[in-house]
Amino acid sequence: MEQELSVDVSAARMQRGAMLDRIFRGATRLFAIFVLAVVIGIVISLLVGAYPALKKFGFGFLTSTEWNPVTNEFGALVAIFGTLVTSAIALIIAVPVSFGIALFITELAPRWLKRPIGVAIELLAAIPSIIYGMWGLFVFSPLFADYIQPWVTDHIGSWPVIGPLFDGPPMGIGMFTAGLILAIMVIPFITAVMRDVFDVVPTVLKESAYGLGATTWEVVRYVVLPYTKVGVIGGIMLGLGRALGETMAVTFVIGNAHEISASLFNPGNTISSTLANEFTEAVGSIYTSSLIALGLILFLITFVVLSLAKLLLMRLTAREGKRS
Amino acid sequence: MNASSGMPTAQNPSARMPASKRADLRPSTQRPGGGSGAANAPKLTVSGLDFHYGKYQALKQISLKIPEKQVTAFIGPSGCGKSTLLRVFNRIYELYPDQRASGEVLLDGANILDKQQDLNKLRAKIGMVFQKPTPFPMSIYDNIAFGVRLYERLPRPDMDERVEWALKKAALWDEIKDKLKQVGTQLSGGQQQRLCIARAIAVKPAVMLLDEPASALDPISTLKIEELINELKDEYTIVIVTHNMQQAARVSDFTAFLYLGELIEFNDTNTIFTTPHLKQTEDYITGRYG
Repeated sequence: MEQELSVDVSAARMQRGAMLDRIFRGATRLFAIFVLAVVIGIVISLLVGAYPALKKFGFGFLTSTEWNPVTNEFGALVAIFGTLVTSAIALIIAVPVSFGIALFITELAPRWLKRPIGVAIELLAAIPSIIYGMWGLFVFSPLFADYIQPWVTDHIGSWPVIGPLFDGPPMGIGMFTAGLILAIMVIPFITAVMRDVFDVVPTVLKESAYGLGATTWEVVRYVVLPYTKVGVIGGIMLGLGRALGETMAVTFVIGNAHEISASLFNPGNTISSTLANEFTEAVGSIYTSSLIALGLILFLITFVVLSLAKLLLMRLTAREGKRS
Repeated sequence: MNASSGMPTAQNPSARMPASKRADLRPSTQRPGGGSGAANAPKLTVSGLDFHYGKYQALKQISLKIPEKQVTAFIGPSGCGKSTLLRVFNRIYELYPDQRASGEVLLDGANILDKQQDLNKLRAKIGMVFQKPTPFPMSIYDNIAFGVRLYERLPRPDMDERVEWALKKAALWDEIKDKLKQVGTQLSGGQQQRLCIARAIAVKPAVMLLDEPASALDPISTLKIEELINELKDEYTIVIVTHNMQQAARVSDFTAFLYLGELIEFNDTNTIFTTPHLKQTEDYITGRYG
């Protein structure tokens, strides 16, 4: 009698459990679809908004350096150029520095120093970008203009090939400054990823390399890096993604000039800084539409970069699989 | 996983001998070759070796002579210090700032604990194979060539020859000669371990340290490793740490029994396993504790 009762109870419970499970499954599915809907919605609204400008300028929108609100002539090349160049500068500086920091933390630092450095890196990541912008404009740019820029121009400005990159008036703001600020901003992200992947290299693997008589650098170069290459590339791409889209800090220090110049010390513009500066004052549908088209291009650049990274990682893993 | 460097296991103190009595016995039990085997010149001479992990003393006044071109086994319960002792011989412990060794370990007459000692040269002379196979994330060929390239600049044909030589020494050549371009991690566990042995051999060391080289392998792979050890001892001085007493009895010429950081008894393997001088050794050998 008692047993039957308990069977009934558990049957009822199971039924209720099954229903709850269905509801739960439905809810999670809804959330997942919501994400997809948001992405598609953003793409559609960007396409719709950009359509008038793209229709008017056609493919020329990508190759024109014109940006003239008075005559309603717009081209994206200056902003695209600025975006790519500042991000490239950021990565060229940030990747080796992050690599060094991550390596120091995981392989070389005494234990008492590991945590403080780790915490400092995390704090660096927590600083809002507008603060980097203000610091860059009010503190860093003047110092850069007064001390570093003249020295660099004097010493490197006259070199062949790369000289023109570092020539020009020492204004303190410009593409190079923007790239430098971006580098400082992405270093914490790249460092954090690199540190985490370096930490998962098995100790015995490193010990066997040391046991053969390898130096720290040889162990890192031939054992740690190959073992972690997927994670390292992922970290760099994470940094690149942030650098491409960063708005406020760049807007502060890049100078906001619609021109392409050979010197990195000259002011320029990026897609996101153009948008931040001009969206509020854009009058006329073509002007607004051109800005939205810029946004669409930024979205595409980021998408392409991340896809290429994924592809590269897939090819790396595939190549290893094929060897078996 | 064997916590071979962890805390000592709980132990019945009465099973241990008074230190004084042990000291009396030590001279007679510590002469390798005093029993049946032919006496060889010592390759490694350890005297008064202490080892600390931070404040914890893991080895206490270890003294022994490891004979050349023989297999010497270190046995003892987990945490007795046998792996620690092995790790002193190539100073791999120095990767960790709180680990310290003091005393004397002579290799060919020079103290390897000397600060002047060139670590890379030392590690070229003393190869090490770990409990778990550790192929590097590169091709089989490069796994072998990696260590060689650290010391020698060989033209390609010479390097090919060296790789083949090392793989043949490790009894692996026939199985993988067509797959040298594959990554080492794709091999089976036993093959990976022999690859690691080949990698150590390729540098042409004088001494090979094997830290429980077969404990992660299946019985057939284990057998192959043991056969390999038997062949290698013609040319190399081999020191093996093992949890497996049958293995120690099978492969070694000399056996050292360590307990709680002290060397309890060291003699030729036959004597240790048939007529140990100390009751404590006998208890461990017969499985009464440990």
